[in-house]
Amino acid sequence: MKNELKMPKLRPEMERGVLCAWLKEPGEAYHKGEAIFEIETEKVVNQVEAEQDGVMGRQLVEEGDEVAVGAPIAEVED
Amino acid sequence: MAAYQKKPDWLKVQYNREAVEEVAKLMKDLKLNTVCKEANCPNLGECYKKHTATFMVMGSACTRNCRFCNVSCAKPQPLDPDEPRHLAEVAKKLDLRHVVVTQVTRDDLPDGGAAHMAAVVCAVHETCPGTTVEVLISDLKGSEDALRVVLDAKPEVLNHNVEMVSRLYHDVRPQARYERSLKVLSDSKKFAPGILTKTGFMLGLGETDEEVYALMDDIRATGCDILTISQYLQPTPQHWALQRYVTPEEFARFKDIAMEKGFKFVASSPLVRSSYRAAEAFEAAEGRV
Repeated sequence: MKNELKMPKLRPEMERGVLCAWLKEPGEAYHKGEAIFEIETEKVVNQVEAEQDGVMGRQLVEEGDEVAVGAPIAEVED
Repeated sequence: MAAYQKKPDWLKVQYNREAVEEVAKLMKDLKLNTVCKEANCPNLGECYKKHTATFMVMGSACTRNCRFCNVSCAKPQPLDPDEPRHLAEVAKKLDLRHVVVTQVTRDDLPDGGAAHMAAVVCAVHETCPGTTVEVLISDLKGSEDALRVVLDAKPEVLNHNVEMVSRLYHDVRPQARYERSLKVLSDSKKFAPGILTKTGFMLGLGETDEEVYALMDDIRATGCDILTISQYLQPTPQHWALQRYVTPEEFARFKDIAMEKGFKFVASSPLVRSSYRAAEAFEAAEGRV
């Protein structure tokens, strides 16, 4: 099923985040719990784990882009 | 140095939303706070995934306004008399073998919150037999009587963070006193020699190596058993400006030096926090008391 990855809210007051790296290429499969992209917050770089198995689709933002929480960042196939 | 510095490779952490939300809900349901959330701890994802957390009691508003800390300075709330019981219930639910409890500084209370902290220690010991308790207290305004109240509850570890080298107190921790913090540690050893003492400090605030060695000597002179050394991470652009990222190799070197000075256990690496893997530190140090 086609789905969207969204910019997660890593802490309550977070409004935007910088997507600093994609860890999966379009077409690449991943498993639940595997880190699939990195978000930089004030203190550290967070490697965000997949919430379910899937295949990375079209990436809607580029590395280095600052994105609002909740905004779509990639299409995925669950 | 307020300019943006790219995060080094060693400052990467895992984030699992489900695990974070599960522990956060448990805390919220019982009106408990964690320093993990309030201080925006970088290890929150890892610790919550392992079902561990560090409780922060006496509210989420601190009466001091240290320039390195993310906890809000605001008018404090009245103490919640149910908090010790609720905290003990969560500790039992999470099956914690070592509970770390920190507090906001409560200069508004005559005893600095000592009696409340003592009640927390007793509640955990009663509800979770065999579970050890580590308290991370404020300087209690230097009150020996208040410190005795906490120690009389018999926590297994008394932790008070010295936080930084003495020269930086004036600018970064203006409402605290370097000598007063050292005295908390030495008084604790004097009043309750059987209780392990622990402290921690940060690097990257602008200190020199020589100042760090002197700090270690001052801490060791109090008889302190456990030391944590960590990287300062600037919470927001309004906080004290990060001066530099210290490399893992430098942290390893500081650990060796601290061990040579006689600490029983030293945790020293960029993402170490005073409560991070506290159970391991406690067990390692206890074995050498």
